[in-house]
Amino acid sequence: MDVKAYIESGVIESYIMGMADEQEVSDLMQLAAQHPEIKAALYEAEVSLEAFAMANTTPPPPAVKTAVFAAIAHEFASATEAKIVRFNFRWVAAAAVILLVVSSSLNIYFYNRFKETTDQYEALVLQKNTLQANNQIMQTKSLDLYNSMQMMTDPAMLKVSMPGIAGKENSYATVFWDTKSKDVYILPNKLPQASKGKQYQLWAIVDGKPVDAGMISNCAGLCKMKNIPKASMFAITLEQEGGSPIPTLSEMYVAGKVG
Amino acid sequence: MYSYLYDNYAGALYNTIVGIVTDTELANDVLQEVFIKIWRQIDSYDTGRGRLFTWMLNIARNASIDTVRSKGFQNSRANQELTDHVSDTAGSVETKTDTIGLRKIVAQLKLEWRVLVELSYFQGYTQDEIAGMLQIPLGTVKTRMRSAIQQLSKQLKEK
Repeated sequence: MDVKAYIESGVIESYIMGMADEQEVSDLMQLAAQHPEIKAALYEAEVSLEAFAMANTTPPPPAVKTAVFAAIAHEFASATEAKIVRFNFRWVAAAAVILLVVSSSLNIYFYNRFKETTDQYEALVLQKNTLQANNQIMQTKSLDLYNSMQMMTDPAMLKVSMPGIAGKENSYATVFWDTKSKDVYILPNKLPQASKGKQYQLWAIVDGKPVDAGMISNCAGLCKMKNIPKASMFAITLEQEGGSPIPTLSEMYVAGKVG
Repeated sequence: MYSYLYDNYAGALYNTIVGIVTDTELANDVLQEVFIKIWRQIDSYDTGRGRLFTWMLNIARNASIDTVRSKGFQNSRANQELTDHVSDTAGSVETKTDTIGLRKIVAQLKLEWRVLVELSYFQGYTQDEIAGMLQIPLGTVKTRMRSAIQQLSKQLKEK
């Protein structure tokens, strides 16, 4: 805005003479706070009005002053009579010391309470984060399980049961073979915990020869294995971690025929 | 301290009051009322909003205008057959007040400005009311008022 034009508009003088309307007054107050030049002009206008008024005086009759001070003295007397209260300095000092001590102790007390509460709060935040993370894991797992269930019940899914072979009767696993996409999934129902450095390997028997169908890792529900276009049988052996090019037949656990 | 305030400013305020009410008897009453008001309300004076004198001057002006616009006053003025605003005639009570302070300067303004200052400053009408009384748009009142005040403040500084 044009500060100079505003200052020269006469609105400042009209304000100090009490002639400005509400809008003009509130605008001026706001502008004076923003622009030091306007604030200065306001001050200057006040000074010049004051100087003018002080140069143009009319002495009032002395009786007016007498009347004013008589009225004020009367008012002052009735206003103060009720207010006189005597203070005993010793008591005031003692009270002040007591208040200081009490207030300091309260400060210490509240500070300790504050620290305690802060610690508790931090512990709760940590707990909350842990719970949230666990919850996330559970959700992922249950989603995996749900997806597995959907696959198992798919009419296109061929189920191949693999019971434990002689000597490994307690073991049991199931292959799910998608007859459309030829993808193979394994559900390791019951296999002994693999010892360290060992891993179960799935084999597909194709035309009488074993073909690697993938390594079984820890997964919730069904684990996706390799794509096997054709197979007459599936079997699982325990191999070195990472797998073997040919199956170690002495370490075979389960096997099952297709169909 | 309050006595100092009175001794220092009573003359300037009295001049303003007489300028508005034009009757010295009444002006005495208004001045008394003004100083009692100042004494009662001094706690509400805020240094951040302006100078002490401006604050006191506004109290004096408002009290004077209240008096001028009260019914009793208007009746007594009517009896004296004094017009309620600008008059170019000489020889009346108003001529006497024309020689006082601000009135002296206002009297030198051109008529269309003088009317506005008279109604606004001396009689306390709002710009809205003045627009209604004179049948001119509010915008025109504002523009003229500001020109009048520019002129006034220029002359104020020269004095």
